[in-house]
Amino acid sequence: MSRYEKGAIAAVVLMLVAAGFIFIYAPEDALQGAPQRIFYLHVSSAIAAYGCFAVVLLGGIVYLWKENVTADRLARAGALVGVVFTTVTLVMGMIWAKPIWGTFWTWDARLTSTLVLWIIYAGYLMVRRLAEPGRQAARFAAVVGIFGFIDVPVVHFSVTWWRTVHPGPIVINDALPPQMLVAFFVTMASTLFLAAVLIAIRYRIEVLTDEAAERVVTAPIAAASKAGSAR
Amino acid sequence: MRSVAVALAVARKDLASEWRTRELVPALAQFVVLALVIANFGFEVDSRTSAAIAPGVLWMTLVFAGLVAFGRAFAAEREQASLEAMLLTPASPAAIFAGKALAAALMLALCEAVLLPALGLFFGVSLTLEVVTAVLLATVGMAVLGCLFAAMVARIRARELLLPLLTLPLWIPFIVVGGQAVQVAMGAGGGSRAGSATGLLLDLDILFVVLTSLTARFVLED
Repeated sequence: MSRYEKGAIAAVVLMLVAAGFIFIYAPEDALQGAPQRIFYLHVSSAIAAYGCFAVVLLGGIVYLWKENVTADRLARAGALVGVVFTTVTLVMGMIWAKPIWGTFWTWDARLTSTLVLWIIYAGYLMVRRLAEPGRQAARFAAVVGIFGFIDVPVVHFSVTWWRTVHPGPIVINDALPPQMLVAFFVTMASTLFLAAVLIAIRYRIEVLTDEAAERVVTAPIAAASKAGSAR
Repeated sequence: MRSVAVALAVARKDLASEWRTRELVPALAQFVVLALVIANFGFEVDSRTSAAIAPGVLWMTLVFAGLVAFGRAFAAEREQASLEAMLLTPASPAAIFAGKALAAALMLALCEAVLLPALGLFFGVSLTLEVVTAVLLATVGMAVLGCLFAAMVARIRARELLLPLLTLPLWIPFIVVGGQAVQVAMGAGGGSRAGSATGLLLDLDILFVVLTSLTARFVLED
């Protein structure tokens, strides 16, 4: 069994443990009832998405600075995984909002800025696909990643900068009962581990893709030189 | 000092070629008037609703006119491969980029000189100093961002598709802050922070001018 398979199995087990904490250990919210349980994964995947986009930012800066291919591959992996976690955050938030707010969507500062975040990094993935693979794609994407990250603090502080209907920070404000806090931290740790495993697997895919692309160029040359030396 | 001279020379070159062909600015001016006509049909504008609708129409029109203007900024360079020639000179890429952005911003400002009076005339809103300041300050930031991504997409496939995709999300801060300032100035309600909007737009301009001047090299030189 490879490292990646072990990591993937560990991530699945951890997510199941987190589900146990969310559905069995944590008490039901007095006001919101069952939909409140969405909070644990919703906030955790938002934090995981921030982390992924930080990887994109740092990978981009390191690439522009040192032309380091590893940094670029990490950024590539981080962007894709980050978009997945942003999608999870948005969808789970909408499922929660329907019973609590009575609507799936409202043009609230945090919802809007999160949607913009999703669009920015979807654009990042488009640049990667359309630019010439290699140096150009890496450089252009790094620039998009640097500008795109500006939206992450906007999303994070939107609930304090603007008047919004989105619930404000409750974990750092010590507003959760201890059992809910435990369930939250277990879910957050499992989600961050899952994100790390996904980035590692995606990184491996990027390495293999790069090698395959390189082989397309080098294989005919190697074959030709072999034929030449045999003659 | 040399960089400033380079930037001014590049801007002068762009403005001179625009003056000789007179392509972009007249077309854009026509475009913004057309956009107002379309908005009239889309919103059913009358004297009661026009003040509430006008700020939105202003920013929608400005954003799309900006996309066209900045998309064109690198089109001629690409067609004649003249950007490569400029980059071979000892001039710094950031200075060349600043010149391109300056020229594009001035051309968009010219188009605003048509848009704002037309908006005032057709929608019956007053053009106060706050409106003009907000629009001009937003133009600076929109121009540097727009030109950066225009330079990028000029080198990749499906450029017409990608430019709005990359540029629009990053323009949103200008539209949020500028939009609010214009709403307040046009009496459409929406808070009373017109004074702080000018400062915030300046902050955004500084942030994006600094970031683009740091990253322009990587986009132009590839």
